[in-house]
Amino acid sequence: MSRKLLFLFISVLYLILIASGLTLVYSVGNPEPVQKPVSAAHDNKIRIAHTEIFGKLQRPQVVFDHKKHEEAYKKEGCSTCHPVDSKNKLIFNFPKTIKGKGKKAVMKAFHDECIECHKKSGAENKKTGPVTCNNCHKKEFAMLKKPIPQAEFDFYDHNKHVKIMKEKFGKDDCGQCHHTYDVKDQKLYSKKGTEESCSSCHDLDKKRGPELAAITKVAASKGLSVRKISHQQCLNCHLECKDSYMNVGSQDVHKIHNEKIACNSCHIADDYRQAVSCTECHIPTDCSKCHTGKYRTTAELNNVARPDRGQRAISLIDIENSSMREVPFNHQSHEKSVKSCRTCHHETLKSCKACHSLTGKPEGKGINVANAYHRMLAEQSCTGCHNKMKAQKECAGCHYYISAMDVGTMNPKKNNCSSCHAGKQIAMPKPLSYAGNNIKEEVEIKVLQKEFEPSKFPHRDVLNKLVKVSNDSKLATYFHRDIQTLCNGCHHQSNTSAELQMPRCGNCHMVDYDKQNLNKTSLLSAYHRQCQGCHEKMDISKGRKCSECHEANKKGPSAITQIKNRNVVRQNTTSMLNVWHPK
Amino acid sequence: MDRRTFLKIIGTGVAGATTGDLLTAGKSSAGERISGKEFYGILVDTTRCIGCRRCEKACAEVNGLPNPDISEGTNETVFQSLRQTTDKQYTVTNKYDTEKGTIFVPKRCMHCNQPGCTVACPTKAMKKRPTGHVTWDSNCIGCRLCMVSCPFDVPKFEYGKAMPNIQKCNLCWDRFKQGVLPACVEVCPTQALMAGTRRQILDDGKRRISMNPDKYVDHIFGEYEVGGTSHLYLSAVPFEQIGFRKDLGTKPYPEYSSFYFKTVPLVATLTPLFMLAVSAAIKMGKESQKQKHEEKHEEKGKH
Repeated sequence: MSRKLLFLFISVLYLILIASGLTLVYSVGNPEPVQKPVSAAHDNKIRIAHTEIFGKLQRPQVVFDHKKHEEAYKKEGCSTCHPVDSKNKLIFNFPKTIKGKGKKAVMKAFHDECIECHKKSGAENKKTGPVTCNNCHKKEFAMLKKPIPQAEFDFYDHNKHVKIMKEKFGKDDCGQCHHTYDVKDQKLYSKKGTEESCSSCHDLDKKRGPELAAITKVAASKGLSVRKISHQQCLNCHLECKDSYMNVGSQDVHKIHNEKIACNSCHIADDYRQAVSCTECHIPTDCSKCHTGKYRTTAELNNVARPDRGQRAISLIDIENSSMREVPFNHQSHEKSVKSCRTCHHETLKSCKACHSLTGKPEGKGINVANAYHRMLAEQSCTGCHNKMKAQKECAGCHYYISAMDVGTMNPKKNNCSSCHAGKQIAMPKPLSYAGNNIKEEVEIKVLQKEFEPSKFPHRDVLNKLVKVSNDSKLATYFHRDIQTLCNGCHHQSNTSAELQMPRCGNCHMVDYDKQNLNKTSLLSAYHRQCQGCHEKMDISKGRKCSECHEANKKGPSAITQIKNRNVVRQNTTSMLNVWHPK
Repeated sequence: MDRRTFLKIIGTGVAGATTGDLLTAGKSSAGERISGKEFYGILVDTTRCIGCRRCEKACAEVNGLPNPDISEGTNETVFQSLRQTTDKQYTVTNKYDTEKGTIFVPKRCMHCNQPGCTVACPTKAMKKRPTGHVTWDSNCIGCRLCMVSCPFDVPKFEYGKAMPNIQKCNLCWDRFKQGVLPACVEVCPTQALMAGTRRQILDDGKRRISMNPDKYVDHIFGEYEVGGTSHLYLSAVPFEQIGFRKDLGTKPYPEYSSFYFKTVPLVATLTPLFMLAVSAAIKMGKESQKQKHEEKHEEKGKH
């Protein structure tokens, strides 16, 4: 009897286990489908999410149509939604005031301001916006992203503004935009010739020297980040201009402009019936007008005048008590090869030695002047920037294999240093040419002639290309002083002072493997790696396939015969055995 | 081979397997290294390989295998699929399209420091030579245990033959005895293959990585995988992108079965003894009972 009971008990337990297992398996729901963010065009709509305050959002974010509101409040003006400071200038904050702190206060401020206004205009029987949750927090907005490309204020824009300001105020008044802050008197002031970029004080994330840090601290306490002040500064001025443009009405445009602006500012073309559009100067306030996502290249900016701050065109960099000679530096030509002053002047626009002394100062974060000019990996240093240029595909063919010059090592030779540390101004060297040298037109390479027809290497064509690349670049022209520099790109281990002729590849690279050093490049491998490496680095599509260099053997396909032949020779050489076979 | 020798080999093979004959040559001491008792191997730099398949052709020529067509037109069609080594191709080159462009990877026997195949082989046809070569002999009986035990799926069976054997790369063992480099190394046009002692090539691989940190992934495949191998690979992309297994671990394959193989002789010898002892004990117990019983009877009889 008891055995029957036990059996029953066990079987019931078993059933329960199976049932619970099955329910467990089927109760696991499908994982939530992962939604991917959808990018959409910007078209003057602003995404309101504030995840930095709210964290994960309870409801979908709001996509706010700024343009619509702008048009609706044309008469009332921007101050309907944005607060105004003591000087009657707009501050681009929304909502106007937030009472209290924390998530709830921010949420309440947003809701109050939006919904109240919508309700009000609804009561006045005007066209109005939504007042219920889901009409703003639409589901389709949940994963929407509206990437706003960074606005770039390049030399072209700067130049345009300089011109307009001059016409408007009659003199070079840089103080309209540029200012500095006096920490003692606690006020802004501007002084000609000491203009700085916005980021030097308003880039709040960057650490800097004691002098600037004091100013940045003030900016940080007021929350004046670059993003905020660029909108405040630019938009306030633009809005002012826009207002005057909007209020012209039926008046004659010529009458207004007559006294202030020259005719050829608008009538650029020869035909005086044509003029540039008014928006060329009176810039509208659409987001996409500044945040274009298109950036001018240095080539396009080549003819644009650079900001004049009284800098010298050509100078001789001289550090007091330095053991090295002075370096001639052409500031003007370097200006043309960058898109912003801050490419080199990373903090203030003062000269390098203002912060970087021989021993290092706190202003320069303790980086001494030698490192400031020579640091390999810094983008602002001479060496760092030049190394970056050498990594471009035109230069990389040779320079990938030449170790970058690092003054921290024993690597540089005297002539490397003296090409910059000349102690006097050096004229630009003449463009390179190999006239007068006996340059082979074509080289036949026969290493693989048992398998293929001899390869023909267009020696002179390759040199022509290198000469062209070198002469096209100002940097290369300056540093490639003679034609042998180019030869050394391929004939890499030559000692030009000792040799009458550039060495052939086979002088060092043996057909066989090196008996002492198996890692040494054999001739076959030297050819393949040198040619293909350069073609790869310079992004040359030619010469990547076997058949482009090797024509099929006219006698027909053959075995790789040299393996067996080598066997016989090697069996007798004992030194070979030492490497691969010790016994 | 007569029946007697065959049984002998089988016998020694089984005995070898059961006693857990583990190879320890991979853990060579400093003294052994200096005296030249080192493993040899090949360093494969996949960033240098240009996919010319000359190694395949040279391998076929040296080993007397069907000569592959390595002309450019054929290469394009060959690279369309990922190939495995076969009984007629000891080395194959595969093409992988990765984040850093096209990469060619030659694949052949890795010549593990402690190979699973040699331990699995019941006839000791698969051998790990003191120089690192994993070779096979003609006494293969075609059981294909080595194929099962190989983590890289290298040994291949001659299914097409009447008397089939296992075939795979033997790191040009015959050429090595003559002091000549492996055929593939000798014909490589870019020195993507570099031969030397395992220490030499490991050093060189590490040097290349440290000199070009942007170019290589900081890992040498085969340095620690399955306890180390004689074929070492360098790569520009993570190894799983060019067809290498990530889940191999660093434990040598024979060690997974070593516990089992070590306990087999113990169990095999101790179990009969134990059983004998038990049976003896039972017998003794029974006999003593019998005696007591008889004594009682005798006593009863006396009374």
